[in-house]
Amino acid sequence: METTILLGGKGLENRIINKLKAIVGQEDVLIHLEDRLCYSYDGTFQRGIPEAVVFPGSTGEVAEIIKLANMEKFSVFPRGAGTGLSGGSIPQSFGIALVLTRMNKIKEISKEDLLAVVEPGVITGQFHQEVEKMGLFYPPDPASLKTCTMGGNVAENAGGPRAFKYGVTKDYVLGLEVVTPTGEIMRTGGKTVKNVTGYDLTRLLTGSEGTLGIITEITVRLLPRPKDKKTALVIFDKLEDAARTVTAIIYEGVIPATLELMDRVTINCVEKQAHLGLPLDAEAFLLMEVDGSSSQVAEDIQIIETVCKNNDCRRIEIASLPEEREKLWTARRAVSSAIVQLKPTKISEDATVPRSKIPEMVKCLREISAKYRLHLPVFGHAGDGNLHPNILADKNDQEEMERVEKAVGEIFKAALDLGGTLSGEHGIGVMKKPYLEWELGEAGLNYLKAIKKAVDPNNILNPGKIF
Amino acid sequence: MTNNYQEILKKCSRCGGCQAHCPLYAERGREPYVARGKIELMENLEANNLEWNDKLAQIFSTCLLCGSCSENCPNGVEADKLVRLARKDLVLARGLPIIKKNVFQHLLKYNGRLKTVGKLLAFYQKSGLQKIVRGTGILNLMPMDLARKESILPSISGRAFRDTVSARNTVENPKLKVAYFTGCITNLVNPQVGISVLEVLGTHNVEVIIPEQYCCGVPALASGETEVTKFLATENIKYFTNLDVDYIIMDCATCLSTWLEYPELLESEEAGKLTGKVIDINRFLVEILDIKLKPRELGIMVTYHDPCHLKRTPGGKTSPREVLKGLSPSYEFVEMELADRCCGSAGSFNLTHYELSQKVAHHKVEAIKASKAQIVTSSCPSCIMQLNHSLKNNNIDVEVKHTIELVADCLKANSLS
Repeated sequence: METTILLGGKGLENRIINKLKAIVGQEDVLIHLEDRLCYSYDGTFQRGIPEAVVFPGSTGEVAEIIKLANMEKFSVFPRGAGTGLSGGSIPQSFGIALVLTRMNKIKEISKEDLLAVVEPGVITGQFHQEVEKMGLFYPPDPASLKTCTMGGNVAENAGGPRAFKYGVTKDYVLGLEVVTPTGEIMRTGGKTVKNVTGYDLTRLLTGSEGTLGIITEITVRLLPRPKDKKTALVIFDKLEDAARTVTAIIYEGVIPATLELMDRVTINCVEKQAHLGLPLDAEAFLLMEVDGSSSQVAEDIQIIETVCKNNDCRRIEIASLPEEREKLWTARRAVSSAIVQLKPTKISEDATVPRSKIPEMVKCLREISAKYRLHLPVFGHAGDGNLHPNILADKNDQEEMERVEKAVGEIFKAALDLGGTLSGEHGIGVMKKPYLEWELGEAGLNYLKAIKKAVDPNNILNPGKIF
Repeated sequence: MTNNYQEILKKCSRCGGCQAHCPLYAERGREPYVARGKIELMENLEANNLEWNDKLAQIFSTCLLCGSCSENCPNGVEADKLVRLARKDLVLARGLPIIKKNVFQHLLKYNGRLKTVGKLLAFYQKSGLQKIVRGTGILNLMPMDLARKESILPSISGRAFRDTVSARNTVENPKLKVAYFTGCITNLVNPQVGISVLEVLGTHNVEVIIPEQYCCGVPALASGETEVTKFLATENIKYFTNLDVDYIIMDCATCLSTWLEYPELLESEEAGKLTGKVIDINRFLVEILDIKLKPRELGIMVTYHDPCHLKRTPGGKTSPREVLKGLSPSYEFVEMELADRCCGSAGSFNLTHYELSQKVAHHKVEAIKASKAQIVTSSCPSCIMQLNHSLKNNNIDVEVKHTIELVADCLKANSLS
C-alpha cells in the first residue's frame, strides 16, 4: 500500500496548458502545486498529484479536452466530488484531473415519464430533495449523498442502505450521454424502461469507474415517493438470533427499505464515545425501516415486531414520527466518529456475501481481527450482505499497515469463499486491483482488458484503475 | 506544531463531508476552500513538501472560521481550530500583513488609541467629510473596491459607551451582581446595545459592574497573532478577577467564544474558573433571571440570525429564541430558512474578501426577505454590522437589531403605558 507522496509529475508543457485554457477558460485550469495537491486524494489514503486540474463547463468542452489528450498523449482522470472509497478518481502523478462539478444542472424532472435528466456534477442529496418536492423518489443513497455527485455515483455504480429493497444506481440509469475515450459524443439507452437496441452500453458504462468514457448527462428512472415510514431498533443478545431474524422477516414477505446491523465491537465503541446507555453485552443491533403506503407500513412493522420477539430479541423500539425515528438512528449515526477514536485511519471495505452467509462472515471477520490484532468493527447493510468491515489503524505505523494489508486480503478471500464479491459498492479503483483476478479469473480479467483496449487505444482515460 | 495539532490532522479521512457545510465551498466549488483541502495542505506543510508562500497565505485567509465543517464532521476534526493554528504558523514564518500588524500591535493593545480611531471615524462621518469624499467619487479610483468597503462602516457613535456610563450601576437590594464585558463594537460603534443591557438588567434588580477592559483579542487570534491575543486575554482576566460578581455577561457572541478559549490559550486554571462565570446575555435572561414581560400588542414580525460563535455554546440556539418568543405579541418570532448559516462577516473577512463575503451574505439576505420579518435580530454586533450592510446593498428595508434592544424596547413601552 503506497502512501508516499510524489510531488507532481514533470509538468505539462505550457503549450498544452494554454490549449486547455483556450477550451475551458483561464479560471478553470489550476496549475499551482498548492491547488493541485487539493485534487490528489479521495476518501482513501491513496494519493496522486495531477499536473493540472481542469473544470469543463459543457459536453463540448469535455470532448475537446479528450481529443487534445489523444493528440498530445496525456492521461485524463475524471472526478466528481472526490468522495470515492477505492481510489478510483485519484490521478497517477501524470495527466490532468478532470473535475465535472461545474456541470451541475438538473435539466428535467418529469412526473409523467417518471424520469429525470441531470448533468454529472449534480449533488445526489440535492437531487433527492428536488425530486421529493415533486412527490417523486430516487432511491440510491450512498452514505456520502450530501456531497457526492450523480456522475460519480454512475461511474462507481454506487449503492447505499436502501439497496436491499430498491437496488443500486444501475437499476435506475435509463440512458447516458458519454464522451468516449477518443473524444466522440455518444448516447446510450434512452428515456424508456424497455430498450434492447444494441449492446447494453448503459450498464457497461455504469460502474466503469471512468475508464471507458466520461459521463456528461444521465437519465434516471424515478419512483413515486413512499407515503409512510416506520423505524424499529432491535437489540439482540446473540448475533445468530439477529441473523435468523433477518431471514425470518424476509420469509414473511417483508422487505425493509433499510436493514442495518451493528456488531458488539461497534456498539461498545459508540457507547464509549457517545454515552447513550447502550447495552455493552448485546451482540447485535438491527435498525430497520419499512416504507410504503400507511397500511402496508403498519402491517410490515407488526410482522417485524412479532418475528423479532419470536427470535429472542432483548428489546424492540418502534417509532413513526420523524423526530422519534431520528432518535433511533442516533447510535448508528454516531458510529463513524466513534470508531475513528480507536485509531485515525479508517480502511473501509465493502466485501459482500449472500445474505444467508452473514453470520459466517462476521465470524471470519472476528477471527481475522484477532489474528492480526486489529480493530475491526462491523456495521453495515445486513439486508444485502454488504457488511462494511472497517479496519481502524494508523497510517503512520508501517508495521500495523502491513498487518492491515494482510487482513484485507483475508477478508476478500473469506468473502469469495462464501460466494460473495470483493466490492459491493465502492468499486475496484486502485485499492482492490491486486485481488481482481481472484474473483474474475484470467478469462474474466482478459475480457475486461480487451474492452478497454478496444475503446481506448491510447489508454487516455483513468489509466491504472481496475486492472 | 503541537502534538495536539497533529492528532487533529490525523483524524481527517478526506471523506469530503465538509463540502456540504462550507459556505465558501458553496460559492467557489474548489477544494482549497474547503476544510479537507486545507488539511491536505497542512499535512504537506508538516512533511516539508511545501513552504509558506503567497498562494498558501491566500488559501488560508479564505476561511470564515464559522465552524460548520467541524460541527458536522463525522470524524470530529476541528478544522476551524486547525486553520487558526495554521495561520499562527504562517505568522511565525512570514509575519503579518503590514496593516494587520499595525492594528494589532498599535491599536488593540491601547484602548485610548482605539477610541481615538472611533472618534476620527465619527468625525469623518458627521462632519460632512464622508459626504464630500463619497461625492467626489475618489473612493472609486482606489484599488480593492474601497468604495463599497467604506460603506460597511456603520455610523460610529463618537463617544465610547463605557465613557458615558458609570463603572458601577447599582440598584437597591440587588438580587444578582454581574460584570459586563462590552466588547469593542458595543463600546465604539453601537452603544445602544450597551444601554439596553443596562436598562434591562437594572429593571430586573441586577447590579452591573463595567470593569476596565480590552478588546477580547479575536481579530489577532483569528489571524494567528497569538502573542497579542495572550496579552489581551491576560489583561482582561486580571480586570475581571476578584470582582464580587455572580456572572460575567456579554452581548457579543464572538467575544464570548474568545473568552471561552482563554483557559486553553493561557493554559491557566484560574482563567478556567473565571470563564465558568461567562454567560451570554440571552441565556442569562432566560435561564438565570427567567424574565417575564407583558408586551403590548404590536405584531411586528421578527426573525433571528444565529451567530456562529453562539450557536454551539450551551443554550446558544435556544435562549435567544426564548427571549424573542417572550416578547409576543409585541414582536412575533418567525424562524427563517438557513438561520444558522454563517452571514459571511467573520471579523475582517468582509473587508479582506469583500465580494466573497457578500456572496455568502446573499443567501442570508434572501432568507430574511422570504421570512417577511420586519426586523432581523442577532446576538453578535459583528453579524449585525454585516447584515445591515448586506440588506442595504440589496435595497431591502429590514431593520437589524440586537435581541436585547427589543427587550429594552418592550420594557420601555411597559413603563410608558
